[in-house]
Amino acid sequence: MKDFKDNTRERSDKEVIKRLFAYALPYKKEFALIIFLMFVGIGVQLLPALLIGYTIDLVSNDTMERSQQVLNILLMGGAFFAAMLVGNFTNFYQNYMLQKVGQKTVVTLRNDVFNHIENLSIGQINQVPVGKLVTRVTNDTNTISEMYTSVAINLIRNILYLIAILIVLFLLNFHITLYVIIVIPIVLLAAYLFRKFSRASYRRVRANLSEVNAFLSENLSGMKVTQIFNQEEKKRKEFKEHSRKLRNSYLQEILVFGIFRPTIYGLSMVGTLIVLYIGYQEVITTAFTAGLLFSYFYYVRDFFEPIQELAEQFNIMQSAFAAAEKIFDVLDTKPEINDSKDSIELDHFTGAIEFKDVWFYYLEDEWVLKGINFKVNPGDTVAFVGATGSGKTTILSLIVRNYEIQKGQILIDGIDIKKIKRSSLRKHIGQMLQDVFLFSGTITENITLRDDEITLEEVKSASNYVGANTFIDRLPTSYEHMVLERGNNFSSGQRQLISFARALVYKPTLMILDEATANIDSETEELIQESLEKMMNISTMLIVAHRLSTIQHSNKILVMQKGEIKEEGSHQELLKLKGLYFNLYQLQYDENEALSS
Amino acid sequence: MLFGKHFRKYYLKYALFFLVGIGILIVVDWIQLDIPKLVGGIIDSLDSDTPDSAAIESSILRIAMLAAMITFGRFVWRYTIFGASRRIEFHLRNTMFGHASKLSQRYYSQEKVGGLMAYFINDLEAVRMSFGPGILTLVDGLMLGAFAIYRMANLNFILTLYAAIPMLILTVVLVYIRKTISSIFKKRQESFEKLSDFAQENFSGISVIKAFVREKKEAKFFGDRNEDLYQKNIHFVKYIIGVNIALSMALNFIILLIIMYGSFLVLRTDGTGLTTGQLTEYISYFFTLIWPVMALSRFIQIQSQARASATRIDKFLDEEVEIRDFEDAITVDNLKGSISVKNLCFQYPDGNELVLDNVSFEIKAGESVGILGRTGSGKSSLVDLLLRTYNLGENQVFIDNYDIMKLTLSSVRNAIGYVPQDNFLFSDTIVNNIGFAFDNPDEEAVKESAKLSDVYENVMEFKEQFNTILGERGVTVSGGQKQRISIARALAKNPEILILDDSVSAVDTKTEDAIITNLNRVRKGKTTIFIAHRISTVKKMDKIILLDQGKISAIGSHVQLMKTSALYQDMVKRQTLENIVQGGEPIERF
Repeated sequence: MKDFKDNTRERSDKEVIKRLFAYALPYKKEFALIIFLMFVGIGVQLLPALLIGYTIDLVSNDTMERSQQVLNILLMGGAFFAAMLVGNFTNFYQNYMLQKVGQKTVVTLRNDVFNHIENLSIGQINQVPVGKLVTRVTNDTNTISEMYTSVAINLIRNILYLIAILIVLFLLNFHITLYVIIVIPIVLLAAYLFRKFSRASYRRVRANLSEVNAFLSENLSGMKVTQIFNQEEKKRKEFKEHSRKLRNSYLQEILVFGIFRPTIYGLSMVGTLIVLYIGYQEVITTAFTAGLLFSYFYYVRDFFEPIQELAEQFNIMQSAFAAAEKIFDVLDTKPEINDSKDSIELDHFTGAIEFKDVWFYYLEDEWVLKGINFKVNPGDTVAFVGATGSGKTTILSLIVRNYEIQKGQILIDGIDIKKIKRSSLRKHIGQMLQDVFLFSGTITENITLRDDEITLEEVKSASNYVGANTFIDRLPTSYEHMVLERGNNFSSGQRQLISFARALVYKPTLMILDEATANIDSETEELIQESLEKMMNISTMLIVAHRLSTIQHSNKILVMQKGEIKEEGSHQELLKLKGLYFNLYQLQYDENEALSS
Repeated sequence: MLFGKHFRKYYLKYALFFLVGIGILIVVDWIQLDIPKLVGGIIDSLDSDTPDSAAIESSILRIAMLAAMITFGRFVWRYTIFGASRRIEFHLRNTMFGHASKLSQRYYSQEKVGGLMAYFINDLEAVRMSFGPGILTLVDGLMLGAFAIYRMANLNFILTLYAAIPMLILTVVLVYIRKTISSIFKKRQESFEKLSDFAQENFSGISVIKAFVREKKEAKFFGDRNEDLYQKNIHFVKYIIGVNIALSMALNFIILLIIMYGSFLVLRTDGTGLTTGQLTEYISYFFTLIWPVMALSRFIQIQSQARASATRIDKFLDEEVEIRDFEDAITVDNLKGSISVKNLCFQYPDGNELVLDNVSFEIKAGESVGILGRTGSGKSSLVDLLLRTYNLGENQVFIDNYDIMKLTLSSVRNAIGYVPQDNFLFSDTIVNNIGFAFDNPDEEAVKESAKLSDVYENVMEFKEQFNTILGERGVTVSGGQKQRISIARALAKNPEILILDDSVSAVDTKTEDAIITNLNRVRKGKTTIFIAHRISTVKKMDKIILLDQGKISAIGSHVQLMKTSALYQDMVKRQTLENIVQGGEPIERF
């Protein structure tokens, strides 16, 4: 299933490989060097068997002088030692470089994915659960990293090694090799069959595993319902079924591997037996020595390991491809809202806003705003009131252009909002959202959002202005206090004050506040009221209001119901109408009466 | 090897598997060492002046037979040992889920589902490894290693000292190295988790980040953490490569030693040396030793992880089953549905204040009762107790004059139908969801229930109608539809007592009315309890119980409460105003 709705394209394996390859291109020089070193490494790896064979011939040579033999043994030992050093050194360097390049490639990929997601619209990001997005950025890129550094290279190395051994075998003894080659097609057939079966069993295991996990996750969450309906036994039976299917697919996997590996062993032994049978006759009849036969024997045994490895690593490649596809899905999703090419920067914003017959929906034809008209003058404090779902928060969202409207016009200082660069517009507007997002960092960082151009003085001054310093100063490390666990240990009132400070410190001309509806303790309540009044005096403010005091201090109130503005005016004017506002006020008034009794 | 009480029974259960598997493994380990001997013999024969073709061919034939036996044997031990481990995993998994189905709501409220899943996924896997690869690496490593060293020592004791001792040291060193690798890996994991957490926080708070135009800066911070992960990765990788190279050099060195010293032994003419063939045999034995070294150190790793996981699984399986039938519990099949609550006081096991304080009321069989109250008044706790998802004191809650704690759980649960507040439905067909209380749901009965809860038409509009699958892999239904399906599920049971927990909150007043009318008709003569916070829902019920902060504030019919309870009057007034503001119809005019 695709993450983003508009991505439905399937990609071929070839395409995926090409794109992954593209990420490795900046490092072509390093790759070339790695492959060169690989040749050296392989060459060195092939040496020991040869040297052992040579030694064997040496020590069984009756015609050589004892002292000659000793000398040759020492020379051989020296050669072996040298080969060992060179081999290990190239191996180390080659592996290290390979890992570095692989990791660097993944770093680039990871940054790309993160940046891309970052620049998508809020609507697009909300299509996918946060957990899945995080998986794309971290786990899926990890899978690809593993593929680069272990699988892909082993693939190349194993293929090169096979070719190298084949060449050596031909060079050692052409005759025997002709016979040994017979085994190769059989081995390839076995590997091909194995691939087919292991792929199928791998898929089956994966499918059954995710079924079991989904069942567990759902039923552990819903155990209450099961117990209340007395259906524990039914669920146990259901689970056993899923569990059995999983077990059977594992057993099948064991069967597949259980046949494949011994088969490869068996085939390698067939090869070995051919070598011994033909080989011993060669030794007797030709100049082929026992030592060379021994070397040959060892090379043939070595030949089959890489084939086994190649076949078995196939499944890892599959999961890497799957991960790559998911990542490319993300990268191919076009950001929904892009500033058009001729958007202008807004240097200066007085705070004048006008909505002209604005109609808006989130989901097709389910209109949330129907024909909204109003004007905001610089310096105004405008309160939006109404029941939940009446559209108040949506209006604020549109002013910062989180979404595009379908009908009508929004004017910012007389300019159509669609003509202004989004980032430029938002720089002038301070948003204090209902859900105050706090993250792991110091209080200062949470207020400045990690912008180190804002000085501590400015932070403190903003906090003092809104009254947040009253509780910040009481913390042991005050502004350096680390916020943990999304700031759950701060009360909702304290969080609101932090969001005020955050908005202020960015020095906006327009401030937007979505008041918290949750109960706020009276101590913070007063502070909030005071700081709101202060802020109203220094900038234009738009508030989705729930508190009576906030509403009463606004110079304009817009009363909304089901996406329309029903009443407009000051507090006194609206009360006189004895309409919707009057009823809302009564509701509020009743609550206050109840609280004070 | 795990010997905890939850695990050791499986050795007996699969004794045949293990005995056959381990037996064959040992045999294979021994006979595979005959091959180097035979090859050595061939080499010697070829080296001599008169090679014996017949003997050589006979040796080759023997090698062929051994190879066939080994091939077959390797299949057998794979099938038996690994097969047993997966079968044991199957039993453990079922046992664990079975236990989970008995644990109380108190347990589930404390443990997160994610944490519980870890038992089934990570811990079970680690335990399975010990039964499969664990046994393999232990036996194979020990036996093959011992056999190889024995044969090497037989050939030449001194050389074996030079070769075997370093190998033993290597095994020990490897264990230490694996531990160090674990701790470096942990650091890398932490960096990975930090990166993951950053991404998680960022995406969760994307509204704020976009509001303050911080995208570019956040990307830079991500880049920093990305870089940190890169460094930790490289550090880890460098260590691993270094270790591998060092091991490889050590091995090569020992091989060199063997070849050199071995060569000199061959050159000896006093009979204490080796033949050429024996030298090749010796070298082959040595190469065979490499696998046991790796295997044993791997065994230690598997073992330590398995032990840690086994402890966790033990703790889970030892968790007490709190909600159960106590000793003298009686089964009553035909409860009529009268409920009597006397001076009920209750606080949650991990709470420190009473959520229900001296609550007393009577519900006659067949009455319809509404329970009203604000958030925190104790309504849900009351329901939890009536359903007996928590244990309570004696003589506080009675069903049909039986103390609820003295009835069997099945008696209580069979008599009560429940519509939960969160309307939890399973990823299954609508038939199976509505017919959840039955083993084989009758489609007609299910459709009847759907009609009663006013969801029949909606379901018939789906393509698969009642066979539609709900949930992630199927259709997502609206909140209101979920609620009505949930109501149908409880109605299908036709229980003596029906409890609806805030079950019409997601539907509009018209649908609410329809459902309540149906309920009143169908539930005539059966007890129905409706937890609500809207007056409109409970207005027409026989009796309304008003809860406030865990205490009973008032009991009576709507008319009675309007006259006598100030709290009730206030609630009616507020809800009327709310209705007007929302744009709906008022329920009562003032």
